[in-house]
Amino acid sequence: MRYIRRTWPFHLMLLPALVFLIVFNYVPMGGIVMAFQDYKPWLHIGGSPWIGLDNFRLLFERHDSIQVIWNTFLIAVLKIAFNLITPFAFAILLNEVRQRLLSRSIQTLVYLPHFLSWVILGGILLEFLSADGGFVNRMLHAAFGIKPIPFLGDGDWFRFTVIASEVWKEFGYGTIVFLAALAGINPSLYEAAEMDGASRWKQTLHITIPSLLPIAVVVGTLSLGNILNAGFDQIFNLYNALVMDKGDIIDTFVYRTAISDGQFGFATAVGLFKSVISMILIVISYRLAYKWANYRVF
Amino acid sequence: MTTFSKPKLAAGAALMLAVASLSACAGNGGKPAASPSASASESAPASAGASPSASGASSAYKDKYDPPVTITTVWGVDPALKFKNGESIENNVATKWALDTLGIKIDSLWSVTDTNGAFATKMRLAMSSGQKLPDVVTVGDAQLAQDLIDTGAFREVGSLFDEYANDKWKTAMNLDPNVWNPYVRDGQKLGIPVLDYAYNHDYLLWIRQDWLDKLNLEAPKTLDDLEKVMDAFKNKNPDGLAPDKVLPLSIGFKTTMNTWMGDPSWVFGAYGTIPGQWNAAADGNLEYGSINPASKSALAKLKEWRDKGYIPSEAALWDENKTSEPAVAGTAGIIPGPYWMSGWPLLDTVKNVPTAVWKPYPIPTGPDGKAGRHGTNFTSGVTLINKDMKNPEAVFTYQNYLFEHLADPQPGSEWDVGVFKGYDYDLDASGNPVYLDKIPGGEVNINRYWLVKDGARIPDAQMKALLKLADGSEPTTRLEKEVKNNYGPETPAAAKVLLSQPDISFKDMFTGPSTPTMQSKLDYLKKIELQTFNEIIYGKKPADSFDKFVNDWKSTGGDKMTQEVNDWYKNTK
Amino acid sequence: MYRKTVPYRIFNVFNVILLSLLALACVIPLIHVLAVSFSAKSAADGNLVGLWPVDFTTIAYSKTIDNPVFLSSLWVAVKRTVLGTVAILAVACLAAYPLSKENAQFGGRSVYAWLFVFTMIFNGGLVPFYIVIQRLHLVDSFWVLVLPGVVNVWLIILLMNFFRGIPKELEEAALIDGCGHLGILWRIYLPVSLPALATLGLFAMVWHWNSWFDGLLYLSDKHMYPLATYLQTVIVSRDMSSMSFTKQEFDLLSQKTINAAQIFIGALPILIVYPFLQRFFVKGLVMGSVKE
Repeated sequence: MRYIRRTWPFHLMLLPALVFLIVFNYVPMGGIVMAFQDYKPWLHIGGSPWIGLDNFRLLFERHDSIQVIWNTFLIAVLKIAFNLITPFAFAILLNEVRQRLLSRSIQTLVYLPHFLSWVILGGILLEFLSADGGFVNRMLHAAFGIKPIPFLGDGDWFRFTVIASEVWKEFGYGTIVFLAALAGINPSLYEAAEMDGASRWKQTLHITIPSLLPIAVVVGTLSLGNILNAGFDQIFNLYNALVMDKGDIIDTFVYRTAISDGQFGFATAVGLFKSVISMILIVISYRLAYKWANYRVF
Repeated sequence: MTTFSKPKLAAGAALMLAVASLSACAGNGGKPAASPSASASESAPASAGASPSASGASSAYKDKYDPPVTITTVWGVDPALKFKNGESIENNVATKWALDTLGIKIDSLWSVTDTNGAFATKMRLAMSSGQKLPDVVTVGDAQLAQDLIDTGAFREVGSLFDEYANDKWKTAMNLDPNVWNPYVRDGQKLGIPVLDYAYNHDYLLWIRQDWLDKLNLEAPKTLDDLEKVMDAFKNKNPDGLAPDKVLPLSIGFKTTMNTWMGDPSWVFGAYGTIPGQWNAAADGNLEYGSINPASKSALAKLKEWRDKGYIPSEAALWDENKTSEPAVAGTAGIIPGPYWMSGWPLLDTVKNVPTAVWKPYPIPTGPDGKAGRHGTNFTSGVTLINKDMKNPEAVFTYQNYLFEHLADPQPGSEWDVGVFKGYDYDLDASGNPVYLDKIPGGEVNINRYWLVKDGARIPDAQMKALLKLADGSEPTTRLEKEVKNNYGPETPAAAKVLLSQPDISFKDMFTGPSTPTMQSKLDYLKKIELQTFNEIIYGKKPADSFDKFVNDWKSTGGDKMTQEVNDWYKNTK
Repeated sequence: MYRKTVPYRIFNVFNVILLSLLALACVIPLIHVLAVSFSAKSAADGNLVGLWPVDFTTIAYSKTIDNPVFLSSLWVAVKRTVLGTVAILAVACLAAYPLSKENAQFGGRSVYAWLFVFTMIFNGGLVPFYIVIQRLHLVDSFWVLVLPGVVNVWLIILLMNFFRGIPKELEEAALIDGCGHLGILWRIYLPVSLPALATLGLFAMVWHWNSWFDGLLYLSDKHMYPLATYLQTVIVSRDMSSMSFTKQEFDLLSQKTINAAQIFIGALPILIVYPFLQRFFVKGLVMGSVKE
């Protein structure tokens, strides 16, 4: 009773979010059972035949299953890492620019690529990174005498290109969170450090970075939800037969085999597999953050 | 839809949506295509006699219904379709016409703008949520059509067609009786194929005539000729372009070796097969073209061409539209593509290079005098009729009228100058017809308003019209005028070139529903095929790795798939 | 003081150069896309456009804008973005506040937190979601664009973490003054969280503004489409295997310029809003308001 008397305003404040969550998230979650069905739209969820784990078998029994899952994981992990590190570092560097107009202009310009679509960017990259006289290769040749690099025509370079172009496109957008966090740092901390004669580097190391870390941990943990999402739109627009072995990911493969044919059961099974893996990783990192930093991510 | 705002952080659902939403662009390659009439007998003639429930309805057929009957339907609206006068797909000049002239009320259950596969998705969702299926639905997506047939809600239509369709429609349908094949189950015809113009998907070579002339070269007839031409284009370029700036032959194979523009499949054709589809083999069975030994020779040839710089060094990264870029820019000498390419994109080359002239030429032959290209489906979809529909014959009242008056009307007929005044044509002060921008408020494509997509088309009508124009006749019928106005200047000539090689088209003979092995293995098999082919062309693997690929292909499901395909094929005969 | 030191000055010069180069690298491709959007289609199709339009024309823009649906879709987009963003922020503030409390103060918080996070990871997919939407009679209703997106867990968790950084003393003082939790949220938390709210607002806005799939699937009347959905219908993916032409359809095959123009038509309103929001990122704002 005391618990309720003390906490009822909290429950009440959570109520609106909870109602929406139940209606639009938890109720539809019943559809996850489709992962175990040969789902036929006209038979509905209730009437579609149960096929046990057959949908999962379809995912794992291909000759290239392990390779595809590994590609997905590797590309996604590197994207998550660089999508975290780059905005983090960029925000700190931008913070040092004192000319307000310059700093705001840079901030605006770097966030623009977020609004480009991969359909358009695919065409631009093909041109820009061409091994046959593309801009980047010409520059590299002029500056370092490097032989043309097949950025999109070789598996390992393809992975590099995919990660680098994604980071290029999104780091400006991702910086915003850290800029907001920077704005929240108490200026008196810096003033005190200044009194102690701490150099700017020391201040960054001991005030700025620790203040940003919690948000970075939160963003990082939540992006583990994407541990098996390597970026469908991007890879679908960029990949080709030469890089199939190292560039094919779960989503492109599911698209080719199921989505375009409306096989909802198989698509749901793959989604469930990805969710379970993500959930496990999120739980682990939540535990780790709590154990080592005594910080509850959420 | 999902509750994530940062797109890159959105997990499962958002992706599934994005993925599902993209489904339209995949179906480009010529998947189901009809078989040539040569091998055909009338498919399942038994179905005519075995007409089930609808018998006795013969008296029901009327040219006009009074009181009006209702046909319910659903629409995937072409995104480019315009409406005027506040109309919509549910209520427009064509629905009004149907009610006034035929006494047929078209009642729309729902509609969706069909971009990114939205129609197929919405159709499946509508079924999932238990919504009523329409009386009549026309579907373009092959897989969706099979799914809808699987619901069992749609009726046998062969008997209806035999009983009610008029002669024009029947004649058009008989041009290739194999058009029924995809929709035949246990000898019953479960959907009426929607006919489309023939040869749209066949291709020929477009060559820069001004370059040929300046070099005093004949158009190539064989692959050897072609190599000489390509070499001259590259190393003695008439426009003075440096060799590394010229692309003698613009082709690409990013996702397939068999596509609609910038296609390399005729190189395979010169050795006797077409890759990526099911061809009729000498023994009467179907075989997958990519494993035919001829493919090995074609790959070796393509590798040679790539080494010599005749084709793009990054051809493996090029899709169809990319291959058209150098052609439009004026740096490419040859591009394979459909007969209508002079209307787009080649019409624009002169704007960039004023001296450029593109001319159509036949597909060159290989060492044994063979030539080949992929063929075209005569259909663009299927119309299904619901079992519960009370007046199924009303569909024929509607379609018969269109085949009679719209498909290829002779001069003087009701719709000779146009169909709906103020929509697809108008009359000026002196009573002469005006078209396109001269219509007050602009033209709308009323052919997308009909109950069945594009109304009524006779497969060979357009080619006939083009041939007549190619021979220098003035256009007299509406179709001839339309073709002359709409298509590029070289289109009639291209049609003639196309028909000068009528026997070299390899149609994809498999048009049935996916077999079990296809569902589980086809994607993997395609993947190793495309990988091997590209690696051979790029010189990363020797040509002999082709043999290993064939063995792998056969042992990892290919043989089983071939068996299933042939079982289906025998059943259609 | 450190600003006067030589190493810092050297650093500063390099820093400005580095960041400017990065900004340049981000903006050059955009200039290219802008140039394509203002070029003739013959030049664009030939891939002859660099950083400057070739044969300048605005036809790609007028083709998109000259449509009665454009204005209505713009209005729908504004409506959904404003309503949607306000709803997201309101619900997020209400939910983030109790979640930001310590376990000792609000025992059930972890249960709630996991309940929220779970929905980020697991979902039933399109089919059951559509059935729910249909049963709620949201198909063909404007509200389908707003209601399903009201709870944004990612933003709630982000805001919760910002709330945690607010000094406890402020809250305790307010409690003693007899403020309820709602009062604390309104008078103390929100004023000091302006940078966070601006960030959240921006993310929510961008998301709402760019969402197009819901409009396409749940609305059948084009006049109810939001801008992003309408733009999707301008770019047409043609199925080449069943090709048949009218003159207009030939034009539609050249989409490079329209594609490019669409980017700017679609993103411009958001781009305009952003610099305006930047003033909330000013340092010291937070503590300044605390000192009052």
